[in-house]
This record gives sequence, C-alpha cells and structure tokens, in this order.
Amino acid sequence: MRKLFHLFRAHPVLTPAFLLAAALTLLFTIRTVVFTIYWSNPAHKNQQIEPWMTPRYVAYSWDLPPEAVARALGLPEPDGPGPRLPRRSLQEISEQTGVPIAEMAARIEAAAESLREQPE
Amino acid sequence: MTETLVGLIPQYGAALMFLVTFLSCLALPVPSSLMMLAGGAFAAGGDLSLATVGLSAYGGALSGDQVGFAIGRWGQRHIDALVARYPKRAALIERARAFSERWGGPGVYFSRWLVSPLGPYVNFLAGSARMPWARFTSWDVAGEATWVTLYVGLGFLFADQIGAVADIASNLSGALAAGLVTILIGRVLFRRKKGAAHV
Repeated sequence: MRKLFHLFRAHPVLTPAFLLAAALTLLFTIRTVVFTIYWSNPAHKNQQIEPWMTPRYVAYSWDLPPEAVARALGLPEPDGPGPRLPRRSLQEISEQTGVPIAEMAARIEAAAESLREQPE
Repeated sequence: MTETLVGLIPQYGAALMFLVTFLSCLALPVPSSLMMLAGGAFAAGGDLSLATVGLSAYGGALSGDQVGFAIGRWGQRHIDALVARYPKRAALIERARAFSERWGGPGVYFSRWLVSPLGPYVNFLAGSARMPWARFTSWDVAGEATWVTLYVGLGFLFADQIGAVADIASNLSGALAAGLVTILIGRVLFRRKKGAAHV
C-alpha cells in the first residue's frame, strides 16, 4: 500500500491510468470466461426470435423451409417458384401486419414443432 | 439502439455497413464488430450477398482510417507549437515518435483486428507521429482485410449463434486491448522509476 502511495505521488496521472487499465483487463477477462461458459451450455444454444431478425434469417437459423416461415408469419406467398421472403426485420413486419413479435415467435415454434413431428 | 441498427442492415445493407465501420475507425461508439457479424449472418440467410457486406465494411474501415490519419497529421502542427512552448514535453513526444518508428507497421496491423478497440487512437498517433502515408496505408489495408474477413466470416459461419460469437469476441478483444494498455503504461512507469533513481 505504501509502495502504491509513493508511485501515485511520483506519477499522479499514470498510476490511476495503470490501475484502471488493469481493472478493465480483469473485468473483460472475467466476462470472456463467463460468456464462454454461458454459451457452451446447450440449453442456451437456441436463438430466441428477436425483432432484428429477418424471415430468411429465421428460416436459416431454425432450419425451416421458407414457405413454413412465410405461413407462420402470415406473409403473402408471392407467385412464381417458391415464396421469396421480404428483406425486412420482424420489427417492421410486425408494425405492418399488427402481429406482435411474441405471437410470431410462438407461431414459428409451432411450425418447427409440427415439421419435426411429420417431416415432409 | 444496437438491435434497431442490426434490424436495418437487410434494407440499407451496403450504406449502413460502410457508415458503421467508418465511424468506428474514428473512435465513435458504434457496434461495428457486431454489425459485421450480423451482416455475415444475413448473408448466410440470403438477405444480402457476402461481397456486398464485406466490401462495404472494408471500404468504410479504410476511409475511416484515412480520415483518422489525416486528423493526426493536422493535429501534429499543434503539437509542434506545444513543443516550442513547453520544451520539457519534447522528450516524451520524441519517445512516442521513436516508438512509432520501431513498432508502427505491426502496430497498425494488429490494432486493426486483434486489439481493435485501440485502432482509432493508433490512426491519430500514426498521423501525428509523421508515419509515412504509404507505410501506414499498406499495413492498414492488410489489417482491415483481416478484421473484416474475420468478423464477417464468423458471422457467416456461425449465423445461428451470432449472439454467442458477439459476446465472446467483444469481451476477448476488450481484454486484449486493456491488457496491452496495462503493459505499455506499466513499462513507462517502471522504466521511469529506474531513470529517476539515476538522476
């Protein structure tokens, strides 16, 4: 403690900067370890449906066919071979259709569940 | 705010990626690493092409670094004026220049991606320490290519787990950057102490 005090008197700017940097190093290291442990738990691997996601992203990350996602989100299935999903976030789609995100998430989970039960 | 920004990527892909990496290279607090991960993930889903995401992020980063370097150059004149007024500071600034002379190139390269939180400050320093423009730019071009490839690539490969990748990568990068700063300050502190004993 006395050593630290002397260091502080000799370098009033660098000493606190050094301590702050050391504390930040410790903090970020702990956070890295905590997040690594958190995410390596299989229970946390399924990504929840979030407002920033797009229908295509949901189809990709949940491994669902685009038609199933379009149906679950109540999107019109456009003409032509295979529905083309809009390049919009779920947030925007929710604002347009009035369906809340939570409702969308429930429908997607239901769609994934039914596909798992009877694979096409 | 981050979630809103990420949600805008599919619609304003290239322009938004460019803007975010540009601003982050000037030390503005925008979530550029996360945005690149998300851009890669959207490319995996098919909302955007990988080339659009990668090239726009790369272009933004290179432009931002050039502006940061130019700001450093411009500020350098003021540093010279300061040295004229306070000659005692000259030794410190000379040491910063010598350090940049010796470590400047690899310093630029690794501060692009491995300790990326330090990148913007290295730009200002490199400009103000009169690092030759061609040297700065060639290390920068390589470093930003590594940064963009790493983050967009991770986003593309781990598209269904970008939350995990973002949490781990941002904290690891913060730990490395803070660790490096700790070591650099520590070196100055303890070297100075030895020097003071001799005088």
